[in-house]
Order: sequence, then C-alpha cells, then structure tokens
Amino acid sequence: MRRLVLIILFGAALLAALPYFASDVMMQFAINALLMAVLAQSWNIIGGFTGYMSFGNSVFHGLGVYGTAIAMAQFHMGFGVGLVLGVILALLCALVIGLPVLRLRGPYFAIATLGLSAAMGALVSNLDIAGANIGLALPLIRNDFMFYELSLALLVACTLSVAWISASRFGAGLVAIREDEQAAAAMGVNATRFKVIAWMLSAFFTALAGGLYAYWISFIDPASAFDPTLNVRMVIMAVFGGPGTVLGPLVGSFALSAVYELLSNWLSTAAALFFGLIVVLCVIFTPRGLADVIVGVRQSGLNYLMRNIRDNRL
Amino acid sequence: MSGGPAQPILEARSLTKRFGGLVSVDGLNFTLNENEILGLIGPNGAGKTTLVNMISGTLRPSEGALLLGGRRIDKIQPYRRARLGIARTFQVMKPFHGLSVLDNVAIGALFGARRGRTSRKRAREKARDLLEFTGLDHRLDARADALGGPDRKRLEFAKALAMEPKLLLLDEVMAGLTPVEIDEVVELIEKVRDRGVTILVIEHVIKAIRSLSDRILVLHHGAKIAEGDPVRVLDDPRVVEAYLGKRRK
Amino acid sequence: MLLPQILLNGVLTGGLYGLMAFGMALVWGVLKILNLAHGSLIMLGGYMVYYLFTLFGLDPFAALPIAALFMFVFGYLLQRFLINLIVRATMLSTLLIAFGIDVIITYLAQLFFSADFRTINPAYSGANFSVLGLTVPVVGLAAFIIAVILAAAIWFVLNHTPLGRAIRATAQNLTAARLYGIAPVRIYAMTFGIGAALAGVAGGLFGLTTHLTPYIGAELTAKSFVIAIIGGLTNPFNVIFGGIAVGIAEQLGSFYLGATYSDVISFGLLVLVLVLRPVRSLRATLP
Repeated sequence: MRRLVLIILFGAALLAALPYFASDVMMQFAINALLMAVLAQSWNIIGGFTGYMSFGNSVFHGLGVYGTAIAMAQFHMGFGVGLVLGVILALLCALVIGLPVLRLRGPYFAIATLGLSAAMGALVSNLDIAGANIGLALPLIRNDFMFYELSLALLVACTLSVAWISASRFGAGLVAIREDEQAAAAMGVNATRFKVIAWMLSAFFTALAGGLYAYWISFIDPASAFDPTLNVRMVIMAVFGGPGTVLGPLVGSFALSAVYELLSNWLSTAAALFFGLIVVLCVIFTPRGLADVIVGVRQSGLNYLMRNIRDNRL
Repeated sequence: MSGGPAQPILEARSLTKRFGGLVSVDGLNFTLNENEILGLIGPNGAGKTTLVNMISGTLRPSEGALLLGGRRIDKIQPYRRARLGIARTFQVMKPFHGLSVLDNVAIGALFGARRGRTSRKRAREKARDLLEFTGLDHRLDARADALGGPDRKRLEFAKALAMEPKLLLLDEVMAGLTPVEIDEVVELIEKVRDRGVTILVIEHVIKAIRSLSDRILVLHHGAKIAEGDPVRVLDDPRVVEAYLGKRRK
Repeated sequence: MLLPQILLNGVLTGGLYGLMAFGMALVWGVLKILNLAHGSLIMLGGYMVYYLFTLFGLDPFAALPIAALFMFVFGYLLQRFLINLIVRATMLSTLLIAFGIDVIITYLAQLFFSADFRTINPAYSGANFSVLGLTVPVVGLAAFIIAVILAAAIWFVLNHTPLGRAIRATAQNLTAARLYGIAPVRIYAMTFGIGAALAGVAGGLFGLTTHLTPYIGAELTAKSFVIAIIGGLTNPFNVIFGGIAVGIAEQLGSFYLGATYSDVISFGLLVLVLVLRPVRSLRATLP
C-alpha cells in the first residue's frame, strides 16, 4: 500500500510539471483527459469494487456542472461555493435515488441508472433557473495552468481514496458484495449501507470533476453536462484498464483518451467509428482489461487472446 | 441473560414457511440448547434448508416466531443476525470467487462478531489460524474458485468460524466426502463445540450424525416427526419409514 | 384535444412501441443479453423501407416484409459470427460490445444516409377518418394492426411450432436443450435474426409515422428497455400492453406538461416500475 501511494505521488509530481512543456492544444487535451480519468476512477468505486455497473454517473457530473454554474452565473457566488453546491446536489441525488435503485441487481440496476441519466438531462433542460435548453454562461477565466493543476489534484485525491478503499475494511466489504452479495450479508456486511456510501463517494468526485469542467469551459448546456456518452466512456475506460484495481482506470482512461485524440486528428468523424471497432475488439479479446492482458500474455502468449473467445462463446 | 435455568439459545414457535401454495415448513416448534449439537435429518424437500434460511435471515417466515436468547429475530435482516452471532454454511457453496482463500475467510473475521474492532491485517492473521485449523493452510493464496469440492467445504466452514459465532448452522458439509474426510469433519465439529459454540447440523450421513449429535430432530414434509436421543430417534419406526428405509448404516 | 383522442393516440403509438420492444425482449429472454444496438437495428430497417420506397417506388407496406427479411439475415449473421464470440461473457462485456456495434452502425448510417431528417411519405400518409368524433390516422392504425398481428404470430410460433419449442427450451435450459439435439448456436442466431426482423418492421412503421435520422437508435433502445421491463419478458401481448402504457403516458404527459417532458415520463416510469415490481417476475424467461 505504501508503495502504491508513493507511485501515485511520484506520478503526480511528474505530471504536475507537464504545463511547462506542453502546447496549448496539448493542455486542452490533458485537462480533458484528467477529468475523464476522474470519472473513470470514481466509477471504479461503485462499478469496479462493488460490482454495481452504473450507467448513470453522468447525472452526478451534470449536477456538479449545474450546481457550479447556477451558483456562479445566477447568484454570482465564488467557485468554491459553486463546487460545494454541486457536490451537495450530487450527494443528495446518490442517497435518495441510491436507496431504492441499489436494491436492483445486475442489468436492472444498469438500465435504471441509464434511464435516470436520460430523465435527469430532460428534466434540467426544462428548468429556467438552469437556463433551460439554452444553458448558462459562467464568468470567463483563461488559466489552463490552474485548471490543469486543479484537475490533477482532484485525480490524485480520487486515486488516493481508491487506494485507501482497496486496503480498508470498507473495501473488503465492497468486494465481498461484488463477489456474492447474499453470502456477504450472511457474514455480517450491511450491504445497503456500503453500496449507498460507495455510490455517494463516486458521486462526490464525479461532481467535483463536473464543477471544474463547468468553470473551465465557461459555457454549459444540458447536452454537454449530462452527456450520455460520458457514461459509456467512463465505463469502458475503467473496464479496459482493469476494474477493481487502483491504477487500472488511470491506465485505461489515459490510453483510450490518447487513442481517441489520435483518431480524431487523423479521421475526424470517422474516429467514432474506429473507436466503436476498438471497443468491440477489446471486448472480444481482452474482456478483463489491460492488467489481465499483460499477465495473461506473459503466461500463455497469444493463446491468451483466443482463450477468451473459447471461454465466452457458445 | 438473567439467572435461573438457562434459556435455550434458539427457539422456534409455530414456524411456518409457505411458497405460494407449497408449505415448506409447517408449524415447527423446537428449541436448541446452549452448546449442544442438534442433528437435523429428513428426506430431501423436508424443509431443512428452508429452516436454516429462516434462522439465518435469508428467508422470512410466513408465520411464527424465532427467538435467539429470548429475543425475537424473525424480522431482523441477515447481516444483523450475523452480528448477533449466527453463522451458516451454504449447501450450494458460495465462496467469493475472485478472492483468495485467505481473504475469503478474512471477510468473516472483519464483519462477524468482532466487527469494527479488527483491522484487515489482524483479520488475515485470524484467517490464517482458522485455515490451519480446518486443514487449508496449504492453499492460502489460491483463488477460491480454484478449489476442488472437499476443499471448498473446508473453506465454507472456515468462513463461518471466522465470524466467531454463538450459533453455527452447518448445511450438509459432509456431502460427497470420503469416510476418512467425514471423520475429520466430525472431529472438527466437536472441537468447535468445545469452544462453546452451539451447532445445528443438517446431514444425510447417518453414521456421522449419530455419533456427533446430542439430540436429533427429524423433519418430514416440513413438520417434526421425531425428536430426542439419537439412538432412540434413529430406531423410531416412523423415522425409518419416512427416511431411513429398511436397510440402515 | 379531447381525452379520448389522446388515449387513442397513445394506444396507436403504443402498439408500435410494443412491437419495437418485443424484438429486444425476445433476445433478452433467450440469449440473456441486453442488445444496446437494438435501436440502431430499428433505424436500419426504417432506412431500408425508405430507400425501397424512394428509389424503387415500392409501397412502404409492401417493403416491410423485404426489409424484415434483410434484417433477419443481417441479425442472424451478426449474432452468429460476432456477438456469439462473447455471448457467455459477463454482462458488462455484452453491454459494451452491443454499444460498440451501435456506435459503428450509427456512424456508418450517418456516412451513407446523411444526418437529414427523412420521412416515408406515400400518397396516403396524411389520410385519416373519423370514428365517434375521433380522428384516426390511417397509417397509425395500420401500424397498430400490424404490431398486433406480429405479436400474435410470434406467440403462435413460440408456443405451437417446433422452432418455438426449441427456442423456449434453449431459453430455459441450455444444457438440457443440447441433450435433446437442439443446436443452441443456431437457435441463438435465429432468435437474434427474428429480433432484428421485428426491429426492421418497427423501423419501417416508425419512418411512416414519425421520422428517421441515424441517431434515433439510442432513444429507441432506451424506450424498448422501458417497455420490455414494464410489459415483462414472458408474453408478447403483455409487451404490447406495456407499449400502450408508455404510449398513453407519453401522450398524456405531452398534453398536460408539454412535449419536452415525455422523456422524463417514460424514464420515470421505468425507474418506478423497476423499483416497485418484484424482480422475480422479471427474471422469468419465455413460457
């Protein structure tokens, strides 16, 4: 555990120096990548560790975006206040919605959260205080350096939290719930409480990322705040890197962000097409994520790839 | 508990469970005394596992009451009953597949009777001791789903023990074991009883049940058809007809 | 607008919704996977009918069976050679691969069909007639009738033909089905093909009653989920009723709260139903 923390801090220190070498375009990419990594890592808490695959974490992102935007654009409060408002909204949502919805298992939970994210976006686009469909404009501030460092700090905080979870009794309970919820309950784990806390933790960091995004972008609307594709992107990134691990989602999100960026530069709209292809290939050949691939290929070479198909086909 | 004659540790009063039109357990009354081993036998479908499910909280009774140490527990959630000291094994074994054997057992130590007062490190140490006790110390780091049948049963057993239960419910832990392995399990169960635990054992292995149990309870179609001293019960003609058949071990 | 008119509109659109959902419910019940690409199959069917109509002058209703056939073959091949590779994997894998396929189909559609709104407009598309003071759109009514007929046909096939029995057996117990000489791979592919064919017909009808863009897939997938959950997976007629429930709820919501709330309503319904309904009944596979 100590070694893990050192790796994280060392990596953070290295990344903190990036702005001194990077071009403006690269900074844009980097901030996006960092924020996306926060989303993937937060999802990891509820999806990777607890095994509840939420396809609705975009709701928390959106609430963070709108909490910050409403506080700053409508009430002219400071950024800090905006962040706090966004977080409170997200935590309340996770608690109130979580209690009934976390009782659902497997695919039903996934669909319910999917429905939730769609409904929330539609709801907000009808509220005037949120600028309805037009959106809101926040005070403009041009300081990519600051946003980069803030995003990095958020990612480090999130990752350190996940590291703590992985070594704690709380984390052991979450994993037990993931592996066999009924057996876990029979052994004394208060599954409901643990699940809701996990989702609230997830919501916390996701909302903070949303708030940062809002202030950085300066203009937000329901479509970008509650962007439904965020859900699948964060899930794919966490799963690709290795769900339920500490560094997996980081690796997955940085790798996939880079891939998507490269594809966009070469192929513009066709990038989405190739991204879809990559997703399909990854699911077929590397269903358990990169971490597993590295171990597997080392053990059995390229047979690893075919083995996945043999195991999973009919 | 207050003074006077010891209260039974577990008491069932008119316990009934219905699934739609099917009555699985029918107005069952029995008591379980502290530190005794009660054998529970009966043909398949007699309601034995349903009874265990009601005691551990996985199922709620349709009617009747369950008391643990004089206190009603039939409406309490499973995780809280675990903390009150009820531990069980599952007939269809439920290991935490992706976790190592050691971590599987550590969960019991982390969330059982001593919850909140154990660190993960100490839980693992306790798990190590228990796995040695149950004979699995050579496979500590193996993934739980890599174990074979008998080893999986030992794992279930160790997980339940890790919770430091007052009441241990064992659901057919001897199924599929060789006679030598069965003797080992019988010895284990007796050692656990020596530690002060009360045990309810569901089994089909009559020889083991006879030597192990202080008392035997026989269920048939969800109702009690015999209860008491093992030798007497196993000779009871009703039990012979319903379950044991003309040839017995 | 009178309440009865609203209800009628709800019922008519609801029948079509039910048809859309039934393809997804079938695949879910038999293959045990959630096809996130279902909406894009509907979209493809719709475009197929559109092009058959505009390029060859074929009457849309006559084009439906052709589209259904093509979609059946497409679905069969898709399952047999791609999805089959991961059909026994974890649920997350099946969800992700379906998502990937959805992305690919959507962007290919955008590439070839362009993002313009398309409608299928035969000469009779605006026609309607009056019954008891209510306006009944001809095309809408025809869509509803087709939906009900297909539901009945599917029910018949599932319950009274050897293929249907094989499908139900495979859904309930894969191993046992194998022991009886059923080839699950073929059954899975056939089921997926049937689901795709149903989606194709629904798409054509959708293009006749509303409009088509390459992006309608996502919303229709989600709506099909909602209806499949509300109607349950066991009985095609229940799915139609589920569709009608959603259709009516949408029309009522549109009328009283404004059109923009219709999404919120259908998804609110979904969450409500999932939370309130005992999960056991949802886990049932086909009868």
